[in-house]
Amino acid sequence: MKHSLLFLLVVFSFSCKLEKKEAAIETHHTSKELLFAKGFTIEKQDSGVTLITLKSPWPGAEKAFTYALVPKEKIREIKLNKKAYDAIVAVPIEKVIVTSTTHVPALESLGVANKLVGFPDTRYISSEETRALVETGKILELGVNGALNTEMVIALQPDLVVGYSLNSENNNYETIQAAQIPVVYNGDWMEESPLGKAEWIKFFAAFFDKEKEADHYFLEVATAYQEAKALAKTATNKPQVISGAIYKDIWYLPGGKSWAAQFISDASANYIYHDNEESGSLSLSWESVLEKGQSADFWISPAQFTSHNAMLENSPHYQQFDAFKKRQVYSFAGTVGSTGGVIYYELAPNRPDVVLKDLIHIFHPELLPNYTPYFFKPLK
Amino acid sequence: MIALVFVNISLGSVTIPLKNTFTILFGGDTSNTSWTYIIWDSRIPKAFTAILVGSGLSLSGLLMQTLFRNPLAGPFVLGISSGASLGAALLIMGASIFSSIFSFSLFNDVSLAIASSLGSFLVLLAVLSVAAKVKDTMSLLIIGLMFGSITGAVVSVLSYFSSAEKLQQYIYWGFGSLGGLSWSQLALLSLLVGIGIFLSIISIKPLNAFLLGENYAQSLGVELKKSRFIIIMATGLLAGAITAFAGPIAFIGLAVPHLTRQLFNTTDHKILVPAVCIYGGILMLVCDTIAQLPTSASVLPINAITSIIGAPVVIWLLIRKRKMVF
Repeated sequence: MKHSLLFLLVVFSFSCKLEKKEAAIETHHTSKELLFAKGFTIEKQDSGVTLITLKSPWPGAEKAFTYALVPKEKIREIKLNKKAYDAIVAVPIEKVIVTSTTHVPALESLGVANKLVGFPDTRYISSEETRALVETGKILELGVNGALNTEMVIALQPDLVVGYSLNSENNNYETIQAAQIPVVYNGDWMEESPLGKAEWIKFFAAFFDKEKEADHYFLEVATAYQEAKALAKTATNKPQVISGAIYKDIWYLPGGKSWAAQFISDASANYIYHDNEESGSLSLSWESVLEKGQSADFWISPAQFTSHNAMLENSPHYQQFDAFKKRQVYSFAGTVGSTGGVIYYELAPNRPDVVLKDLIHIFHPELLPNYTPYFFKPLK
Repeated sequence: MIALVFVNISLGSVTIPLKNTFTILFGGDTSNTSWTYIIWDSRIPKAFTAILVGSGLSLSGLLMQTLFRNPLAGPFVLGISSGASLGAALLIMGASIFSSIFSFSLFNDVSLAIASSLGSFLVLLAVLSVAAKVKDTMSLLIIGLMFGSITGAVVSVLSYFSSAEKLQQYIYWGFGSLGGLSWSQLALLSLLVGIGIFLSIISIKPLNAFLLGENYAQSLGVELKKSRFIIIMATGLLAGAITAFAGPIAFIGLAVPHLTRQLFNTTDHKILVPAVCIYGGILMLVCDTIAQLPTSASVLPINAITSIIGAPVVIWLLIRKRKMVF
């Protein structure tokens, strides 16, 4: 009953938006409202052109980026001022290059993984569907560690390159743009909320004319997430959680407002640094973490460790923590694809509902008794 | 120095009342077991590490400056520190390349220490074999710098091909850290630094002679090759072992010998050798205490502090070069 109510609520809010959309068509354009993502906006114009604006593709970006997506059949009749846009793309596209594994699940969910023609460092792709395309040579290797080999990119002649950048130094992309290949940035990694990250599927959908599929898919994920969150709220206790790991004598762990910390709080648990205001990561002296977290009930994501022994080998200090002593340490580092890529990095932004259910199952086993966690496994 | 050790141990992110600190140090029990653990297994080893690192690096800096008669020489000049960095980089970032040969856990500090000691000793051996052939100290200096460039280049190639996580680990190592040494690692470091100090003490006479120039030293009956060998050996041991355990710690090796000379207004190694050890240890304890940012949970990388103190010293030295005691 509660589920269907929730579902109705979400559908209702969507249909309200649809009505707004129809009402707005009489005016000049409609903005496609995004529910959670803060990093981009989508606007459909009467002419059929879709405008995507990225507010800040990297930290401290000095300007917004605007991309014009023009339907292929109208590309001759619609004359756009090239200087006004950072990229003009004829859609739907047939050949795409993406640069981060987080882009791969979005393509798969939209049914367009077969349009992917190249990727830098294919080792890291774990998803079986896309992996098969790599093995059969349909997706070409374009360099190591996200450093695109520009010559190979230009030789492939894709309709679009979806890049990402950590700062304004992007000489590689500029070279590709000079060769008349449109480059758009993806800022999914800047998004701070779990559902905000997942909503970036709508960014990809606009280039493939798959908006309906994206809306449907995101609705499912968002509904599942909200339901799981509501279920977690019914828990009677709120366990204490620590995270991260020591290097030398510094403890590196997620900030209190980070993506990782939000999952913990949505799963009805208390991250010991939930008061902290950082959305990135923290580096603290290990003794202060000991003082705060010695008696915590659970330990989530101890860096790259997959076994208790490996942790102790690195630092005897771990022995001081209750969660370690009671074997309540859980990590996603052991869940890897056939070529060793950590699946969490690829799939978690796209499936926050699964991450949340994993954590609820760990913190409150009584709420999801028959659930098998996908990402988080107890350490050996 | 002893007072400073107390200050260093009693201050940290976790506020432990001074009374309790003394109780713990003299074997008493406090209500809070984690305090006892923090003092004995974290802060005391760290204070000792600070003293060893400060003394050892300053001493190796002094040896280099005297041997090369160059006020800007330091343990980094011979390429020894770069060798250690290369060892660390190969272990951390080259693991994927060599994983078929070794299988080790990446985060294991002991293997890291072994790798960077090996790296520094390989460079040291290369320098020594060149030193046997090349008579001139200046050429040796240039050769050391060249080794440094080569290792630096190999490290950049490794960085380029390694994954983000491994690169991050290497960068953490590069920040330098005095913490995280177990008692057994500390014992090993003490032994190596001890040997280095012993070799320096037996070289005091030739060191004083070197100040007057190599030809003059020879006329005083100093066996050039042998002395040079011992001094380089001592430097390699000190710099290699320290870089291995604590990462590449900047500036202390360069700045402390100068500060000491100015302070004592002498160039006699009978005074300088013990003085740089004490002074370096003290300075490192001070730097570490500052880096801990007492009572706050954050920590600054130790290299940031040593450089903030060290860089102005070097600038000031360059400006006052004419008036330097050297």
